Amino acid sequence: MKKIGRMVLTLTVLGLISGLVLSMVSNYADPLIKQNQQEAIREAVYYVVQPTESYEKKTMDGKVIYESYDSSNELIGYAFTASGSGYQGTIRVMAGVGPDLKEIKGIQILESNETPGLGGKIRGEDFKNQFRGLNISQEVGLVKTEEPETGEIQAITGATISSRAIVNIINKELTRVRSIFDEGE
Amino acid sequence: MVKDFIKGLWKENPVFVQVLGMCPTLAVTTSLINGLSMGLATTFVLVASGLAISSLRKLIPDQVRIATFMIVISSFVTVVKLLFEAHIPAISSQLGPYLPLIVTNCIILGRQEAFASKEPVSRSLLDALGMGIGFALALVILGSVRELFYQGTIGGVQVLGSWYKSMIIMVQPAGAFISLSLLVGLFQRISGRK
Amino acid sequence: MEYFFIFVAIVLTQNFVLHYFLGICPFLGVSDEMEGAFGMGMATTFVMTLTAIITWNINTFILKAFNVEFLEYVSFILVIASLVQLVEMFLKKYLPELYETLGIYLPLITTNCAVLGLALFMVLREYNFLESAIFGFGAGVGFTLALVIMAGIRGELHEEDIPRPFRGTGITLLVAGLLALAFMGFSGLVPT
Repeated sequence: MKKIGRMVLTLTVLGLISGLVLSMVSNYADPLIKQNQQEAIREAVYYVVQPTESYEKKTMDGKVIYESYDSSNELIGYAFTASGSGYQGTIRVMAGVGPDLKEIKGIQILESNETPGLGGKIRGEDFKNQFRGLNISQEVGLVKTEEPETGEIQAITGATISSRAIVNIINKELTRVRSIFDEGE
Repeated sequence: MVKDFIKGLWKENPVFVQVLGMCPTLAVTTSLINGLSMGLATTFVLVASGLAISSLRKLIPDQVRIATFMIVISSFVTVVKLLFEAHIPAISSQLGPYLPLIVTNCIILGRQEAFASKEPVSRSLLDALGMGIGFALALVILGSVRELFYQGTIGGVQVLGSWYKSMIIMVQPAGAFISLSLLVGLFQRISGRK
Repeated sequence: MEYFFIFVAIVLTQNFVLHYFLGICPFLGVSDEMEGAFGMGMATTFVMTLTAIITWNINTFILKAFNVEFLEYVSFILVIASLVQLVEMFLKKYLPELYETLGIYLPLITTNCAVLGLALFMVLREYNFLESAIFGFGAGVGFTLALVIMAGIRGELHEEDIPRPFRGTGITLLVAGLLALAFMGFSGLVPT
């Protein structure tokens, strides 16, 4: 009996100490982690809607939307995050659109684990720049080898799945954002 | 005493000789910097757990020793993960779930069982340091080799000229297995064992 | 259909062992007996499915509900360790025959990073309950598949004249590399 008592005591004391120490470390680290995440969001908003000088975070119908303003305080677009599954795990992107929702201003990859050198190229400027000024009067299309026309994106060679994933993620979220704005009016 | 430290670097190198801790070794060594960060994080957990277990070794009842080790190790891993996320978020997201997986790295549990739970604090410290650095060294070598043959750089610095065409297979799973296989073979050849 | 794709992905296109490097230790140390490998795989699959189910509940109803996510790793590894103990005791008492076959593998499962890895991936991917259970089971099946193939190949390697420095670990890793290459052929099987 004494033995069991000692076993239980050891584990309980150890568990308590561990919980205490971890909650202290977590108290210290959490604000810093939050700050890092906000910083990443801020940079992404500035990147996707250019030239943003300031932005405002708004929640509409449960969706967080960042309203971007330029230096003369004029509304130049909206930015929002979207996510979905890529070739390897979740991809999270930030997308920026013009104030009339007729064109994409730019996109940024916030999170992806795509294969470096292949799907990982979605992080590259070449791919992301295809979205700058992209017409979105209809769904964004994807072409493999042929020349992309208005509203189309050319897939990265050898990484069609990752490219399609991005296009799908953006199309899906655009539909949602549109319906939110339609309701709001 | 010095032997406790030295053995982990070469004679009992955790990766090349003992073949332990293979998950992180293969998964995160796509570049020198990733290998190095993983190696250092593991060394920290190894040293901290070794110190804790070794100083508590007389108080821990034998029947629950594995459970005790697991609590101590996983607590230190949580500390590392939180600090990484707070101070070097870029590296933390590169390592992804492999950072918390240090918990099940067999090297750490193995050293507690084989060494720290039996030996005094000073020797356990040297043992943990040796094993940790030996592990980090192996990860750095593997990371450099894979990065070099993937895109001709080491630690981001261009080593091979612009004529070098990137070799994507090196950063994919198959490349990880094959490079490590060749390195293990090379290590065995040099050390003249077997 | 989505559930089915989760399963196919984790067994073939993103095999836990050959793609994510989880469960490498038992994979490299596996004997050359197919039966033993299969037994080990089954025991692990069983623990993995249960782990997925239990850790999902812990994560959703305790860690997230009380905002103590920093206890994630400590609580997950304790769940796995106690689960392995429980399974061992249960089998010993009620299914002694099965225990005879699987018993020796059970203690090794706690430090198999595939089990903890499964729980971590599940949380990261924000799977719902059913997805988690399927993911856990599929990960186990994928692990078993890799293990059995490796055991089969190692059985054949006995006859070969392998250069000295590569005997043991070297050649096993090389075989693993070729298997990983072969499994890359499955990519594209799961649409996104």
